[in-house]
Amino acid sequence: MENRIPVLEQAYEVVFVTALVILAVFLMLSLIRAIIGPRVADRIVAINMMGTQTLAIIAILAVMKHEGYLVDICLIYAMTSFLAVIVLSKVYMGVYRQRKEERARQEKQKEERGYGDH
Amino acid sequence: MEIIEWLQFLLGSALLVLGLVIFLIQMVGVFRFKYVLNRMHAAAMGDTLGIGCCLLGLIVVSGFSFTSLKLLLVIIFLWFSSPVSSHLIARLEVTTDEEKEHHYKQQEITADGAVVTRVPRAEEDKDGTVF
Repeated sequence: MENRIPVLEQAYEVVFVTALVILAVFLMLSLIRAIIGPRVADRIVAINMMGTQTLAIIAILAVMKHEGYLVDICLIYAMTSFLAVIVLSKVYMGVYRQRKEERARQEKQKEERGYGDH
Repeated sequence: MEIIEWLQFLLGSALLVLGLVIFLIQMVGVFRFKYVLNRMHAAAMGDTLGIGCCLLGLIVVSGFSFTSLKLLLVIIFLWFSSPVSSHLIARLEVTTDEEKEHHYKQQEITADGAVVTRVPRAEEDKDGTVF
C-alpha cells in the first residue's frame, strides 16, 4: 500500500488517528466497568472487551504505519486474551467450590458442637 | 487508477467507522443493562461484529497482500473463540450465583410432571434489579 496522492495520505492519517482516539476512550470506559462491576463475571466480561479493543488498536497501528509484523502480534494477543478469559473463569469456579465446601464444613462443626452442649 | 484508490479509502473508512459505531453500541449496552447475563449480550456483539467490521475495513485499506490474509486469520480466530469464552463466563455466573431468585426466572419440573415457575421478586431487590 503506497499512496502517491498526498491528499489521500492525509485523509488516511486523520481517519486512523480519530479511530485510535475513540478506541482509547472506549478502553477507559471498559476499565471503569471492570472496576465498578459488582460481580466477578462482570469484571471478566470487561477484561474480554478490553482485549478486543486493544486488538483493534494494534491492527489499526499495523495498517497505519505499514508494519506487517504488528498483525502477528495482533493474532498472538487474540489467543492470549482468550486464554486469560478461560483461565480466569476456571480458577474462579474452583475458588468458589472450595469456599462453599469450607463453609459447609464449618456449619457442620458448629452444629456438632451445639449438640455437645445440650 | 486514482478513482480505485479513492473508492478503497471510502469503503475502508466506512467499514472502520461502522465497527466503531458497533463498539459504541456495545459500551452503551454494557453500561445500561442491569445484570451480567444481560450485559454479556451487548459485550459479545462488539467482540464479533465490531472487531469484524474494523478488521474488514483494514483489509480493504491494505489491499491484496499478506497483511490482509493475517487480518482475515484474526477474524476467523475471533469467530471461534468469542462464543466459547461467552459460554464459559455464563456458566461461571450461573454456577456461582447464590441469589438466583432475584435475578432470573426459573422453571423446574417436579417428579409428577408439574412445572414450577419461580418469577424474580423484583420488589425485594435492594440493588434495583428489574426485569
